[in-house]
Amino acid sequence: MFGCSPAAGSAVESGLAKISCCGYVLLYPILIPLLLGTLCLFIPKRMRYASELLSICTSLATLIITICLFTIRPWAFIWRAYPLLNLDNLSSFIMVAIAAFGFLVTLYSVGFMKGRLHLNQYYTYLLWTIGASVGAVLANNLILFLAFWGFLAITLYLMINLQEGEGVSEVAKKALIIIGGSDAVIIFGIALIWRIAHSFDMNAINIVINSKLSAAAYLSLAIGAFAKAGAMPLHTWVPDTSEKAPLPVAAFLPASLDKLLGIYFLVRISTDIFKLNVAMQTFLMALGSFTIIAAVMMALVQHNYKRLLGYHAVSQVGYMILGIGTGTAIGIAGGLFHMLNNAIYKCCLFFAGGAVEKERHTTELDQLGGLARFMPITFVTCLVSALAISGVPPLNGFASKWMIYQGVIELGKGGGRLWVIWLVAAMFGSALTLASFMKLIHATFLGQPSSDKRVSEVGPAMWVPMVILAAASLLFGIFVYKLPLKFLINPAVEGVRLSGLWSAGTATILIIVGIAIGFIIYLLGNLKGLRRDPHAYTGGEILPDEARVTGVEFYKNVKEMQPFATLYKLAEKKVFDIYDILKGILSYFTGLFRALHTGILLTYITWVLFGILVLLWIFMR
Amino acid sequence: MNIIPLFIAIPLGFAFLIPMFSRKVRWLPDMLGNLATLSLVILSFYTIGRTGNYYMGGWRPPIGINLVLDGFSSLMLIMVSGVSFAATLFSVQYMEKYTSKLRYYSLFLLMVAGMNGVALTGDMFNLYVFLEIASIASYALVGFGCDHEELEASFKYLVLGSIASTFILFGIALIYGMTGSLNMAHVGQMIQQQGMGPTLLFAMVMFLMGFGLKAALVPFHAWLPDAHPSAPAPISAMLSGVLIKVLGVYAMMRIFFNVIGVDEKLSWVFIGAGVISMVVGGLLALGQWDYKRLLAYSSISQMGYVILAIGVGGMAMARGGAGANSVAALALLGGLFHLINHATFKSLMFLTSGSVVYGTNTRDLKKMGGLFYKMPITGLCAMVGSLSIAGLPPFNGFWSKLIIILACVKAGFYGIALVAVAVSVITLAYYLKLQKYAFFGEVGEGLKDVKESPSLMCLSMGILAVLCVGLSLLLLPGPRAVLLDPAVEAVLQGTDYITVVLGR
Repeated sequence: MFGCSPAAGSAVESGLAKISCCGYVLLYPILIPLLLGTLCLFIPKRMRYASELLSICTSLATLIITICLFTIRPWAFIWRAYPLLNLDNLSSFIMVAIAAFGFLVTLYSVGFMKGRLHLNQYYTYLLWTIGASVGAVLANNLILFLAFWGFLAITLYLMINLQEGEGVSEVAKKALIIIGGSDAVIIFGIALIWRIAHSFDMNAINIVINSKLSAAAYLSLAIGAFAKAGAMPLHTWVPDTSEKAPLPVAAFLPASLDKLLGIYFLVRISTDIFKLNVAMQTFLMALGSFTIIAAVMMALVQHNYKRLLGYHAVSQVGYMILGIGTGTAIGIAGGLFHMLNNAIYKCCLFFAGGAVEKERHTTELDQLGGLARFMPITFVTCLVSALAISGVPPLNGFASKWMIYQGVIELGKGGGRLWVIWLVAAMFGSALTLASFMKLIHATFLGQPSSDKRVSEVGPAMWVPMVILAAASLLFGIFVYKLPLKFLINPAVEGVRLSGLWSAGTATILIIVGIAIGFIIYLLGNLKGLRRDPHAYTGGEILPDEARVTGVEFYKNVKEMQPFATLYKLAEKKVFDIYDILKGILSYFTGLFRALHTGILLTYITWVLFGILVLLWIFMR
Repeated sequence: MNIIPLFIAIPLGFAFLIPMFSRKVRWLPDMLGNLATLSLVILSFYTIGRTGNYYMGGWRPPIGINLVLDGFSSLMLIMVSGVSFAATLFSVQYMEKYTSKLRYYSLFLLMVAGMNGVALTGDMFNLYVFLEIASIASYALVGFGCDHEELEASFKYLVLGSIASTFILFGIALIYGMTGSLNMAHVGQMIQQQGMGPTLLFAMVMFLMGFGLKAALVPFHAWLPDAHPSAPAPISAMLSGVLIKVLGVYAMMRIFFNVIGVDEKLSWVFIGAGVISMVVGGLLALGQWDYKRLLAYSSISQMGYVILAIGVGGMAMARGGAGANSVAALALLGGLFHLINHATFKSLMFLTSGSVVYGTNTRDLKKMGGLFYKMPITGLCAMVGSLSIAGLPPFNGFWSKLIIILACVKAGFYGIALVAVAVSVITLAYYLKLQKYAFFGEVGEGLKDVKESPSLMCLSMGILAVLCVGLSLLLLPGPRAVLLDPAVEAVLQGTDYITVVLGR
């Protein structure tokens, strides 16, 4: 675009698909949602059904187109010798996943968003998000990629702002500053790549990290991926957004889509564009492990269904980064598979939370309880997903976590001691995940109800997506070889070599140990006497609020244990929030400069004279 | 027929016609004002891809005064005409609350005439005259509301602006004494023959300070945050949108690149001033609670980007070597593209501020809130403007910032590129602050009945908002070759300007 090197042309012929004359097909899944989404903006507010129908049809059409494209890859769209879009094995399956989640979220929104204001705007942003995400995944040109990628931050911002309520605009602002700010860092990274490799085409760039410049380039791009996926320390927008945004948005963007995109980009830069060195791999694994543990510890003490899920959305990213950081084929495949699985069960968990919110109008855990008998479908799907996220066999979360463990172990075969730390962190994180979901399930669906108001199951527009996702969790777990690995993951990563899934005794035993630890932590909560026998309720009288057991306080003892107590307190004060740290530093300097601007003319004239003196010194000395 | 003098004659003529003929008819000033700017817009499109000379009175340089049209001045003419048309369109309903539209349009068109003159003239003293016409008209317009605050701001602007003008005049006098000529091309020729002397260096310092103050570079920026917010909104749009660019950046680039020639020292001064302005302006904007004041500080910061890009381009030109030309071209492309982008989105933002003030009667961000749904068109336009300045795709600001950062990295200034990235994040932060407090969140107290602004104001904002998206297309090879590349070439040719103008 800006005088690319001639090398691009030759790379096109060698690396890309042979068919270029009709690559315009690749534009369809991008342009159809973008254009029809724009059309949706102009549908009058009265015609709510029209905008719902239009968006469902559009997202379904996009899904069908992407599935068709999936079967005929690889393909490229070449414009004036610039390969702008490239459909390869990696991008194709993520593209289908995006379209699938887009369709499910649209379907769910029809049920959930009923009665809200500005629905046409909501569906417009939703469709724009689908189109831009497909564009970002397909883009082969780094600048085109960045354009789509950055646009997604805007749609997220607009969608969060659609929610009414206190603190929403602050959350939207924070999310866009973190994501948009990291996009600016990506620009710097792209500029460095351009200087090193003289090209913007992803398929033509291959940089070995061997200098400060290339390391800086990689890190700049990785920061963008981390912010999008929500890895620490750029994660702070995820829990806030999960809590405050309209629920389908939370389920779509931070929980599933941004994971798909962020991890896609991380895999793309870590395997295609750059060749990582050991130091960079170690950095990734350390960051991943830290994210797993720190985020799950925060999740353990949350009081809000959505916020708790938000912290898990961060924690699970740690696994993916850990898997990619191993640099082994199975680790990367595990990371990608975990990304897909996480999107499936996390989306389902959010949907379940939305169903609860729809019926009970709150997601504060201490105001929920006993919903299992009223909302059986929601309960079962939520339970399946919760077990999947905790890595309980035979669900999909187990399979992908196991692949990541195996990647770490395979790395360990090459020597070194650090891999043990990563492995232990991953397992421990798994245990804590289970523990925190016990709390969530108990507080929401089991235990005593918070009020005797009867509720009913949600409508089919909402439960169908949940059932589909829970079924996918189950299927991907049981038929792990036959379905996801064979069709989706293995083509994307070269040289994945799996040893038998169930025969690898050590890993399975370690998983079981992990679950056991989870149970122990769960029992610790019991020992405190927090759980009471439900017969206290059988008298037919409603218990006073203080006697009701909600599950919220399950892990209060963890919170009060040193050194966690101090850490939690600091975290609550947002001492670790990079956004607030930078805000503090900047406002200090702002105050400093503001104090200088007194509004007195003589001061200003003095500055002018000072400026002249400096200029004279520069030029006349 | 040579259309070059029309760019000065039309606004100057209308500026005098309006108060003469339209005292009795209420709608005539609006009509004539818009007619003048609209005709300038149409004429300015006619200059695309053309170059030419106009000799006043038929006297050839170096004796006579000439007007020169090249790619760079053509770009400036389009920018000035476009923004002034949007501003006059906005004024029709907005200026109802002020008295005396006659004087308003008269001053407005005088300012436009001055700017067009600066963009076209090939004579140094003539440059000074046009610069003063535009400046004095703007002093009067800043104080147009005649309130305490406005008059104070106008006075500060007047004092500091006059200091700058005096220094510029002093610099011109020195150059005249040294070369015996005032014609820019002829002066350039003499300078090439005589080489750099202390007199010339002193004159350069005078120009840097004078034009630097007009362009609001730190530390000469102090007048801007008072003057730009105090003026009526369409005037703020003109001041921030085009005045600082034509009187400051354009004049500076014309004199330093085309007449004197850039060297490394000068480029370092540009880069340094650009970086300082970027950072200081950005940080100050972050702490503002006044809608228009925030925009004013943001102007300082964004002009920093432009000057930085120009400095990087000048550095590449001065250093020479393999590939220097492409780096310089890229940097100047980024700088000039950001210049016109800033003209569109900053004038758009000032117009939205006018619209908000029109509806709510306040500029205090703390008293606003929830206006996005109360004033949907204003809200949408402000959103587009904010995201453009913050440099988010697909808006035009993203592309120009991208090019500037690419150019910095390509020229090897990694640290400076990082500063540009950091300031871009700060920019995003303060524009989102503006969005959050003005347009989202709880509806402010007493703002339940706020209505959208009248139609012409919305139309004017809408045009600029569409431009914010549409200008991105200027980077496509076709449109770029028509509009941006000639401007970049005009700067890049450096002192070859002399031969082009003098024809020998």
